[in-house]
Amino acid sequence: MAELVMAAATPHNPLLWRAMVEPMPDDLVGVAANFRRIGDTIVELGVDVIIEVGTDHIRQFFSDNAPAFVVGKAERYHGTYENEVRTFGMEYVEVAGHRELADRIAGREVLPEAIDFAVSHEWRLDHGFIIPLQYLTPALDIPVVPIHANSTLPPLPSPRRFAALGEHLRDTVAAWESDARVALITSGHMATDIGGPRQFLGQGSPDPEFDEMAVGWMRDGDLEAAIEGCRYDRIMAAGNVTYQYVNVITALAAMGGRPAELAEATESRFASSPFFMWRAG
Amino acid sequence: MSKYMVDKFMRAVEMSDAEVAAYVADPAAYVDVWLASGAAASAPDRPSDDHELTAAERDAFAARDIGALYALGAHPYLLWHFIEAVHSHEFAAGFGWRDLVERYRAAVLPHGTPDYIA
Repeated sequence: MAELVMAAATPHNPLLWRAMVEPMPDDLVGVAANFRRIGDTIVELGVDVIIEVGTDHIRQFFSDNAPAFVVGKAERYHGTYENEVRTFGMEYVEVAGHRELADRIAGREVLPEAIDFAVSHEWRLDHGFIIPLQYLTPALDIPVVPIHANSTLPPLPSPRRFAALGEHLRDTVAAWESDARVALITSGHMATDIGGPRQFLGQGSPDPEFDEMAVGWMRDGDLEAAIEGCRYDRIMAAGNVTYQYVNVITALAAMGGRPAELAEATESRFASSPFFMWRAG
Repeated sequence: MSKYMVDKFMRAVEMSDAEVAAYVADPAAYVDVWLASGAAASAPDRPSDDHELTAAERDAFAARDIGALYALGAHPYLLWHFIEAVHSHEFAAGFGWRDLVERYRAAVLPHGTPDYIA
């Protein structure tokens, strides 16, 4: 059977693409080191397929058609958009999909009981998916099943649905008749504001109290506290795009609610960066 | 419907280099052409692609009025990237990205956290 060998969460801050380059600025040394630590673990554990749970930033999915959870069923994906090349200096890329695993996650004929997924056969991945892959697997040589979780266009799925997603991904991999070694990567934020009055403060987190609690839920393996702490009103008070933190609940649930071996909100000139990691028990 | 259309307009401009250039060249004229080019204005049997703005929304886009758009309920993520896109050609000595960030902050700060849910 296939094995879920690890789960991890990383940031996808696209401003890193121009800023986090050699000679490495002092404030970004920790961010680069944590990306490297997770990337090295992917190599060490022999990962050969990645499930990536992230959030499209109103590029592919807009309010004319905004599903809660989308599983990518394409054979290949193009990465990033004209506006992201312009604004962030990102590069157009391609990455392979994994149709067999995508079919197992979403169901080929009937949707699974856990989640009423939407599926997509043609989906250009934005920075929320591409930035983590470019730092974790620079050659982009590991096939990916992207899963979009709507965290930007309300109504949003509740935090408990992200836990259900994680449990479903764990069970799906465990039941897959394959020798694949699978990693679950979630892409998200700590407290972050974009387009609101607290964006780009230049002095770190807009809500250090939230970040401290949010690191603790993963460090202590407290799934119920994470679900309760991510109530819409509280998490939006931490910044208007902080809901993308909730993606990591998927990883915590997939790992059975165990404490993470890496749990850190890494500080820099930007809003703090989420780094969490678990190995299979 | 109105906040949805504000978001639709910003996204249509910001995602395309050509649309950003056309808007920047003459914001008021661009908005009026966009309003006149929706599906409802031409043929009722075309796929739905309405282009509608209230007078206040139209005027705010014509004036690139950050505070007005924010107060009208523009999606903050789309609004920042729209504003960044349509001002970045002005970056030069004496006015840069950080200056735009602070101009944006000053414009939205008086309006608190408007309901942007479309």
